Amino acid sequence: MGHNDIKKYILHCSVFMLVCFLCLFGYIVYLQVIAAPSLAANPMNRRGDGAQDIVRGAILDINGKELAKSDKPGDRSYPYGEVMAPVTGYIGEAIGNDGIEAVAGGDLTGQSRQLQMLGPIGQALQSDQGNNVRLTVDADIQELAYNALGNHRGAVLVMNAETGGIIAMVSKPSIDPIDVEANWKSLTAREDSPLLNRATQGLYPPGSTIKVLIADAALDEKVTDVNEKFNCTGRLDIGSEYIGESHGAVHGNNLTLKDALTESCNVTFAALAMRMHGKGLESAFDRFGFTVPINSEFNESKCHLPNFSALGDGDTAQVGIGQGETLVTPLRMAMLASAYVNQGTIMVPYLVEEVISPVGLVIRKASPSKWMEVTSDKRANIIGGFMENVVANGTGEAAAVPGIRVIGKTGTAENSQGADHGWFIGAAELPKGKIAFCIIVENSGGGGTVAAPIARQIITALRDN
Amino acid sequence: MKSKSLLLVAVDFMIMFAGLAIIMLNQYPVIDWSPVPWALAAALMGLAVQLFLLQKKYTSDIWIFPMVLFFSSLGIIMLARLKPVLCIPQLRWLMIGMLVMVGVLYFSRQLKNMLQYQYILGICTLVVLCLSLIFGVEIGGSKNWLVLGPISVQPSEFGKILLVLFLAAFLSDHGEMLKASKRKILFLDLPPIRFIAPLLVIWGIAILMFVVQRDLGSALLFFCMAVFMTYMGTGSKSYVFIALLFFTLGAAISYGFFSHVQVRFNIWLDPWADPDGQAYQVVQSLFAFAAGGVWGTGFTHGHPGFIPEVHTDFIFSAVAEGIGTAGLHGHYDGIRAAVLSWYYDCHELQKRAA
Repeated sequence: MGHNDIKKYILHCSVFMLVCFLCLFGYIVYLQVIAAPSLAANPMNRRGDGAQDIVRGAILDINGKELAKSDKPGDRSYPYGEVMAPVTGYIGEAIGNDGIEAVAGGDLTGQSRQLQMLGPIGQALQSDQGNNVRLTVDADIQELAYNALGNHRGAVLVMNAETGGIIAMVSKPSIDPIDVEANWKSLTAREDSPLLNRATQGLYPPGSTIKVLIADAALDEKVTDVNEKFNCTGRLDIGSEYIGESHGAVHGNNLTLKDALTESCNVTFAALAMRMHGKGLESAFDRFGFTVPINSEFNESKCHLPNFSALGDGDTAQVGIGQGETLVTPLRMAMLASAYVNQGTIMVPYLVEEVISPVGLVIRKASPSKWMEVTSDKRANIIGGFMENVVANGTGEAAAVPGIRVIGKTGTAENSQGADHGWFIGAAELPKGKIAFCIIVENSGGGGTVAAPIARQIITALRDN
Repeated sequence: MKSKSLLLVAVDFMIMFAGLAIIMLNQYPVIDWSPVPWALAAALMGLAVQLFLLQKKYTSDIWIFPMVLFFSSLGIIMLARLKPVLCIPQLRWLMIGMLVMVGVLYFSRQLKNMLQYQYILGICTLVVLCLSLIFGVEIGGSKNWLVLGPISVQPSEFGKILLVLFLAAFLSDHGEMLKASKRKILFLDLPPIRFIAPLLVIWGIAILMFVVQRDLGSALLFFCMAVFMTYMGTGSKSYVFIALLFFTLGAAISYGFFSHVQVRFNIWLDPWADPDGQAYQVVQSLFAFAAGGVWGTGFTHGHPGFIPEVHTDFIFSAVAEGIGTAGLHGHYDGIRAAVLSWYYDCHELQKRAA
């Protein structure tokens, strides 16, 4: 007997070992095929920066102006310096890259995804020159917005409402990307946070700019209609607290929703917020995507929203006028405004328009895509009309440009850091396309006087060039 | 058949020469030619050894050797890429290995006679393992190295061979008896304790020794080897069950007592808990796998050097980055072929014995 039995047992062991190998191989396939993209994108993975012998590609603006360039391996210069820093980001060997330098790092070093798919054959095609990356950003507009902020801290974000392409992304104060790594310690310790990209990471109370969303939500929840007449006595008492109008204004008793938005009536919007309660407000902020990450080329801060259903009446009223716990980023407010010139749809914001090989071949081109339908076409027209009136006859008159349809909403955000922040969000229908923008000027007082004129400068410049 | 097996040997060395050539071209203009004579010598020796095997005077298997050479060639070019100073020593050891193999085959009859003294073999195993306990030097947290002047060896590597010989001798002598005299204890079929006592003693002491030396990887290897061989010799699932029981117990105890076992186990469980510290090596190795993808980055490309100690502990990750899933598949095919050929050998041997 024995020998045949032993043969059988040996077969058992062989099969067992082969099964073990199969398991191992299954895990390797998982690692190298399924998990590979996320492992490659892990910030601890230094392979993207490992290409030290490659001349990094240039970062170009929409018109081909150089925003960052390299002449030899390891060399990098930024012709626009601190103006473009929030867009380009910086290279840091020890601190990691940021901005486009990080997001498009693989493209800039020529390690394109397609090339990697080819495996060893790709090595033969690997050039010692990285790809150029052309952005949607317009350097002239960026520079104009940067200078327009003057000595104020703040942020300007301009985007193409129909495609989502970012035209300008300004944050002030800023720092020349070339100086970041050397001065890392002192920069991170600075009280005015020059490394913070305020356009995507700055968290501010939205102030009256949020009334656009509240008006939309109030119509959606049917707690009011466009014909209701509100009565503003200049003061709304809620228990022991009250909501007042700025500068002691009294808007009277013949106020439609349109008038209330035009005059930025706190009493009306506080009342609307209380009518919707926590639930209605929560679904409105959800609908406009404030709780949904964009998941794209931006390192954005998550907006901070209160736990709406736990708010008392006084705090609910504060939500209606954009005060209290609600904190939003300028990027999100520009996206909100874009819906009102784009049939209620927000596009996915993006920065990289094209990736161009060293010989000029377009390797990858952005394909604009819809992010969310946040409101109906019909309501976008109604609210858009209200916002048009804000610029034509209301608090945003300083943004008006003759011959161009400009819609907008001003805001004044009280904050713990001193004087009020001035906001202006809105959109404009230019002959070349529709744009949306958000401007915040820190500690500048009312948004109508400082922020709205910056919008006019931007719209005029975009019209003329 | 003869020419085909020679062709296989030639292909193995062609892989080695191609790899070395790529590395040298990368060094241009300052090329280090020193490994070339060693590589040529190894290749000639490999062909000579295969011709010797083809005489079939000492063995009927002509396929295992080319397969082993395949893995050796891969090992040499990976080492030449990752740790060039070790390339020549590796080639030297490959040649010594081939000489020893021929020697073992040549003296196989005499060696077979030695198997009669199975208990002496068992004691030798223990002595060899004890050597490092008494004279051992601690390298990398485990006290399992013997340093003899310029060379350092791990006695456990020789202990492995001795243990296999001991088990083979013991089981072929006592296998039938172990099978015949079974007793039911609970749901287990066990022979009387005095029959398996020698097995358990050798086995237990060997593992205990490793635990004392904190070389748990080898302990596990010894353990698996012993379990596999016992199963193949007796076909008793009860042994496997008891072995697994011991294993679980041993694992739990070592986890409780040895901090470096705890660390290793926790890293294995979740490398992302401490990717910057204790799991750094593992996490970097995962990145290497990811960078390899399906087709690999190509030999000499990629960044396996990001993994600390890649040339010893994590050489497989470097292979994975270089040749990708597709290449590893080929690598595994080689291993599978080796396992199958080993099964075929056993089959042949039995046919002849029967």
